Amino acid sequence: MKNLIIHLYLSICMVLALVACKNDEETPEPPLSAITVNNLAADPTTNTGTGQPQPATGKFTLYNFKNNAIVANTDSASNKWDIGFRGTTIIINGGAIRSGQGGAYIYTGLFTELTEIPDNQVFSTDQSPTQLAIPTGAGNGWYNYNPATNWISPIAGKILVIKTGEGKYAKVEVLNYYKDSPSTPSPTAISRHYSFRFIYQPNGSKRF
Amino acid sequence: MRILFTLLLTSAWLSGGYAQDDSLKKIDLSEVVITATRTEKMVSALPMPILVINQAQIKAMGSLRLNEILQEQTGLAIVTDHGQGVQMQGFSPDYTLILIDGEPLIGRTAGTLELSRIAVGNIKQIEIVKGPSSSLYGSEALAGVVNIITERPEATKFSLSSRYGTNQTWDISTNFNLKKEKWNASLFLNRYSTTGYDLSPEIFGQTVEPFANYTTQAKLNYDVSKNWKVSLSGRYFTENQQVNFNIGNSSSPNLINGKGSTQDFNFNPIIYYQMNNRIKTQFRFYTSNYQTESKLNYVTDNQLYDATFFKQNFVRPEIQTEYFLSSKHTFTFGLGKIWERVEATRYTEKKRFSTDYAFAQYDFAPKKWLNLIAGIRFDKHSVYGSQISPKISGQVDLSKKISWRASVGRGFKAPDFRQLYLNFNNAVAGYSVFGSEELPQALTFLQAQNQIAEVLFNPSEIGNLQAESSWAWNSGFKLKPNARMNINLNFFRNDIQNLIETQVVARKTNGQNVFSYRNLNRIYTQGLELDFNYQVILNLSLSMGYQYLVAKDKTIEQKIKDGEIFNRDPITLITTRVTKRDYGGLFNRSRNMLNVKAFYENPKWGFSANLRGVYRGRYGLGDLNGNLILDNDNEYVKGYVVWNIALAQEIWQKRLRVQVGANNVLNQLDPQNIPNLAGRLFWLSVGMQISQKETK
Repeated sequence: MKNLIIHLYLSICMVLALVACKNDEETPEPPLSAITVNNLAADPTTNTGTGQPQPATGKFTLYNFKNNAIVANTDSASNKWDIGFRGTTIIINGGAIRSGQGGAYIYTGLFTELTEIPDNQVFSTDQSPTQLAIPTGAGNGWYNYNPATNWISPIAGKILVIKTGEGKYAKVEVLNYYKDSPSTPSPTAISRHYSFRFIYQPNGSKRF
Repeated sequence: MRILFTLLLTSAWLSGGYAQDDSLKKIDLSEVVITATRTEKMVSALPMPILVINQAQIKAMGSLRLNEILQEQTGLAIVTDHGQGVQMQGFSPDYTLILIDGEPLIGRTAGTLELSRIAVGNIKQIEIVKGPSSSLYGSEALAGVVNIITERPEATKFSLSSRYGTNQTWDISTNFNLKKEKWNASLFLNRYSTTGYDLSPEIFGQTVEPFANYTTQAKLNYDVSKNWKVSLSGRYFTENQQVNFNIGNSSSPNLINGKGSTQDFNFNPIIYYQMNNRIKTQFRFYTSNYQTESKLNYVTDNQLYDATFFKQNFVRPEIQTEYFLSSKHTFTFGLGKIWERVEATRYTEKKRFSTDYAFAQYDFAPKKWLNLIAGIRFDKHSVYGSQISPKISGQVDLSKKISWRASVGRGFKAPDFRQLYLNFNNAVAGYSVFGSEELPQALTFLQAQNQIAEVLFNPSEIGNLQAESSWAWNSGFKLKPNARMNINLNFFRNDIQNLIETQVVARKTNGQNVFSYRNLNRIYTQGLELDFNYQVILNLSLSMGYQYLVAKDKTIEQKIKDGEIFNRDPITLITTRVTKRDYGGLFNRSRNMLNVKAFYENPKWGFSANLRGVYRGRYGLGDLNGNLILDNDNEYVKGYVVWNIALAQEIWQKRLRVQVGANNVLNQLDPQNIPNLAGRLFWLSVGMQISQKETK
């Protein structure tokens, strides 16, 4: 607990220091607020009654942070979308197989701690369906898999830092992978429904 | 206080007239054990932690199977993972070697050797050595060794006992012992059956399905001459169990039923040669077969759902020589070879490996108050390489009342067949599991079929599985403040390297994973064990046993130190860093375990009674908040106490014995989290014994 308080205190100090420093140069901007999206369907499958997972067959659900809205799949070859979800796979709109200017990396830490993207930060891109900016597989990217409960849970402290299709920045924290965000594993829960929160920085700066 | 003692002593003196033929005392220091050094040695002289459970105790408890006995012992917990196994010093059941008369039992499922396979009706004593004994026994003896010593006929007698209890549990045992001047023989037969129990009736299939098993054990000892002796022993076990489960869900069921069977056979001839008073040699041969079979059908159309088999074979010749140079120096040497093979539905072909080994031990007692034992063993395995396991231990008698002992040793566990050779594709769920030796070919094969989307690890990196190994320290005191009191205190620390874990190595195009085994983690377990025995009066003894345990993953501890592990509250969605304090360590380990026991016997009236309470403190069940570690209060199972009671009365000059008892008297239940904890069980047993007066 003591550590936590120290961490919180330090993070607040750092934020204050940064804000104070930047305030000298720029006019203050209205603080960005986090938006939470609930139950975003990501190619859900119907339960066959066998209890076994079905392979993903449908399309990615594409999302635009600026408008906080789903983008039609017909616009997949444009820079109108920023992030896409299908099953546990997350794609971004940038790289050899995409049309936008996007990229991504995973930041380890608290959502609120990430206040500025370092200048030398490298953003990965989607190079091929098997080489994505956000690595697939349990424990590699944004989620863990618990074989005992068959449960997929977003890894706390993994923040997806996204460069959008238009080249702006956003940070995303996935909160749940199941419909109506059950707080504990449940055999009846319906998977492939994302809940996440994000902060989008419209002015093109790397600060949140 | 002094007055109380005087009173107790007086009453003890008054009751001293009763003859005490069977000792119920938990640790009788004059007891001789063989497991710790492979030579007969008195418990009081052993410089390592040891527990001995004798026949009188087993009888008084009314226990039938090994798991029932072990769960009441200090520091041992019965844990379930594909069977009931024993957790010792915080190690999973995989790391404890189970022996019958010094020979290993085989047949583990996912690392667990089902302890209820072992009937205890003909056991002389159970010896439990804690801490690594790989210096004598090789692989698997990493946490410790449980050695079941069967009875050696001392007289000609016949006994028959039958017990009936809750869940229509029947147990019938007969024991036939023959003792002649030059030879003796014994035959033990047992049948055990139960209708099982169901803790969750809303789900199709019982928690424990009905099963029946038979055990046959025969032994023959023959003294050929003064110098030569032979012994032959064999054991056969067979069990059939029903299988019922639902692969659909409650609204649209898809029921499966069928049968599973297990067979286990051991054969063990030994020749003993005593050249003179100083040199004794044993030529031992041991072979064991273990096999399981299951056939499961869909209930609706009786079509085959799954049929599997598993066959394992173990053959071991061994020579052991003891050399008594003088009362101060004893040397033990051994040499042997093990052939193992396995054949199963989930293996591509018959798989074999072999191990050559040699061991040596030096037992040095330069002074009456000092004993040192040093041992070393070398194992050369045909697949994964070789291992050297040293161990040194010592005991110093500081006074007549206090001894200090300490030991340092290395233990190891060879990768098993599953970890090396498993080749399993789950057709329904779509995932695959490969042993490390199978992985490269299997991956190439799947890649050629375009089934692999991405390889996450280089297979050559995974290919070489190392043996799991540990260094262990044990140190403590034996205290004997007076003739009626025994206190045993032991501190332990085990540092384990190369722990083998399942790991995702590739992703398949169907979205499922390919799993294999890798040496990953470094863990440690540490704590203290305390045993306290007090004989209040000659007929009443009390005992208390306690274990404090900390078992943690060093990799996780480092990550927590680096601030890389987080916990998100599932309700408030607030994420925080996991602190060192939040981390509860490995799952399924109780920090506190306690047992209290009272044994009373009145030989004059032929009456005995006992009450035993076993507490298992809270332990982690599984991760619920997604960080895969134990850090949240709701990830624990609550601690619980199980009380057992047994009463026995002997009648008709001890020829007949009636015993009643109840296990789990308070009906402690947790169907979801502790399925192996059946409710309250009442039982009644009747036994008779006819013995011939020893011919002299």
